[in-house]
Amino acid sequence: MSDARPSDATSVVRLVARREVIERLRARSFAVATGLLVVVIIAIGVISRLGGDGGDDAIEVVTAGELPVGFEDMTGQTAGLFERTVEITERDDVDTARAAVEDGDADVAVIGESGEVVFDDGIDEEVLAILQQAWANAQVQQALGDAGLDEQQVRTALTTTPLEPVTIDGKDDGDEGLALLTGTLAGILLFISLQTFGTYVLTGVVEEKATAVVELLLVRARGSQMLAGKVIGIGIAALLQFALAIVAALVSLAISDVEVPGEIWAALPITLVWFIGGYALYSTLFALAGSLVSRQEDAQAAAMPIMSVLLLAYVMVFTFGSDPESTASTVMSILPPIAPLLMPLRMAAGAASVVEVVVALVLLAVAILAAWAATGRIYEQVLLRRGTRISWRDAAALIRRT
Amino acid sequence: MLRVRGLTKRYGPLLALDDVGFDVPRGEIVGFLGPNGSGKTTTMRAIMRLVALDAGEVTWDGTPVDGGTRRHFGYMPAERGMYPRMKLRNHLAYYGELSGLSPESAGAAADRWLERLGLADRAEDTIQSLSSGNQQRVQLALALLNDPDLLVLDEPFSGLDPVAVEMLSDILREQVDRGAALLLSSHQLDLVADVCSAVVIVDRGRIVLRGEVAALRAASPTRYVEVEFADAVAWEPGRASDVSAGGRRHRIAVEAGTDADRLIEEARSLAPVVGYSFLPPDLSEVFLGVVGRDTLDDPQHERAEVAR
Repeated sequence: MSDARPSDATSVVRLVARREVIERLRARSFAVATGLLVVVIIAIGVISRLGGDGGDDAIEVVTAGELPVGFEDMTGQTAGLFERTVEITERDDVDTARAAVEDGDADVAVIGESGEVVFDDGIDEEVLAILQQAWANAQVQQALGDAGLDEQQVRTALTTTPLEPVTIDGKDDGDEGLALLTGTLAGILLFISLQTFGTYVLTGVVEEKATAVVELLLVRARGSQMLAGKVIGIGIAALLQFALAIVAALVSLAISDVEVPGEIWAALPITLVWFIGGYALYSTLFALAGSLVSRQEDAQAAAMPIMSVLLLAYVMVFTFGSDPESTASTVMSILPPIAPLLMPLRMAAGAASVVEVVVALVLLAVAILAAWAATGRIYEQVLLRRGTRISWRDAAALIRRT
Repeated sequence: MLRVRGLTKRYGPLLALDDVGFDVPRGEIVGFLGPNGSGKTTTMRAIMRLVALDAGEVTWDGTPVDGGTRRHFGYMPAERGMYPRMKLRNHLAYYGELSGLSPESAGAAADRWLERLGLADRAEDTIQSLSSGNQQRVQLALALLNDPDLLVLDEPFSGLDPVAVEMLSDILREQVDRGAALLLSSHQLDLVADVCSAVVIVDRGRIVLRGEVAALRAASPTRYVEVEFADAVAWEPGRASDVSAGGRRHRIAVEAGTDADRLIEEARSLAPVVGYSFLPPDLSEVFLGVVGRDTLDDPQHERAEVAR
């Protein structure tokens, strides 16, 4: 025992956590799940590129024949009003211009002689509107010039201010829709992550009890240290997977060439906070559920109450997510088991006040501490009680008695 | 020295331990023996602080055992358990570190024990790929990694083949030779008697016998004369006797002071004798004599313990 080290609690927790991370990363199931996630995310990017509507791309216009003077400039200016850009290429004749559209080299062709605008299959209303206005302005400009106005006068005559669209309730429906979508997606991802990693904790605890390795561990570590190490270790594995998913998402976005609205990036850090809080709460409860059974076959049954609550929280995202300002939605989003899924959505939609968020976070923290204290009380005791499943009622009685 | 005093544990109506006390000095192997369900595992768990006692005290070198001293103990639970999907060497090194070794010495200890147990070439295999005999070896190594001051081994011999029993016995002797105290349990009383310098025999949670094996056997008022004939013989020596091996082997219980030679003569006069012996009872027979039962099994008590 010459080199025995002082056994502080953190070094034990660190050891247990490190084993969890290493074994998790080594496991084929984890590699497969992570690989699948990355592939799916990148595939979304590829698909959106291939079938992309190119909404934010430059409009590629080919022209043929004689056009009104200044049409090219006018097209660029007009496109700017629609927050679009154009690339205009002149072709030798009508046929090559039409062929360019047919082959997909260009979005649209403008034919000078016939005064036609040629689309491939469907007419893009926005592109048409840009071209119509540019065409009209160019013609007016030419006419004004012919009428004897000098360049400065023509420019003044043609300087226009576009109408600004507003809604009665003062909100931009497009942005709110995007925020709701972002929040809902965050809710779905949080649910999947909490369920996946909660299940890892559940089966991990059951494995230790089922194989009886727990008795060997408990003479070296306290139950609370094992619990902390397992929850932290699997949590780190979860965050690693999360980080990989983010990298994949960046790659996917680069491939798809889609511009990401700032709201999505803004939602990321706060979603992470809710994930960590939700994970801390649910994984502790999943660990408690796992400690009650001695066989993997019984694990799902023991975890049923926890899983039900998580599922309920998930349903709440869809039930109250569409109306994030309602009182019911506000109340639900503050309850600790539901907050991690519903509050990110309400925040993304701009419906949650700072007070509500703070209250929800405080309540969540209290719930985590309570779950932790309850589990820590009986964890060691029930882990060593192998054999028949211990009911939640018995567990509750034990917690009260201990 | 490990000192166990007054251990008492109730599981509902069942008194699992009733004032159990004994010592395990350094350099000695003490056998903790008794039928299944007699309280051996509960006692060993209590020594490892895995059981909340109703009364009693466990001290090591005079101080109560706590989480700190426990790290200098090595433990092999009755229910063997390891992470099935972990690699052999990783598993040992991990447990070594949990037992307080630095990463380097944990790795070195893992390699040393893999070599010693003939498992060096399996170091990168998973636990679940090992045969149960090899898993048992790894389980032993887990208890020995940190060169413990006290070894608590719950049924270390169960399920071992004779070669493995020999190997284990050698390792255990090495451990006490370097100064460790060793407590091992067995429900097969006669199997471990030779390995132990002293035994403590427990029944229904209470200690019924203790001392050196030879002395306990010699103290018995009974002796056995065993005679083996070349062929089956009908022999009625006028005393209780066991006949086995198709009537060739006769085992006769006599009083300690009996003149055995006369019995042997009597046998020889009946038929050709291949061999004979005059011995004190086995430890299990001494035990049965003390508790007044016919068999080691104690189904009534076992059921009660399982039911808790």
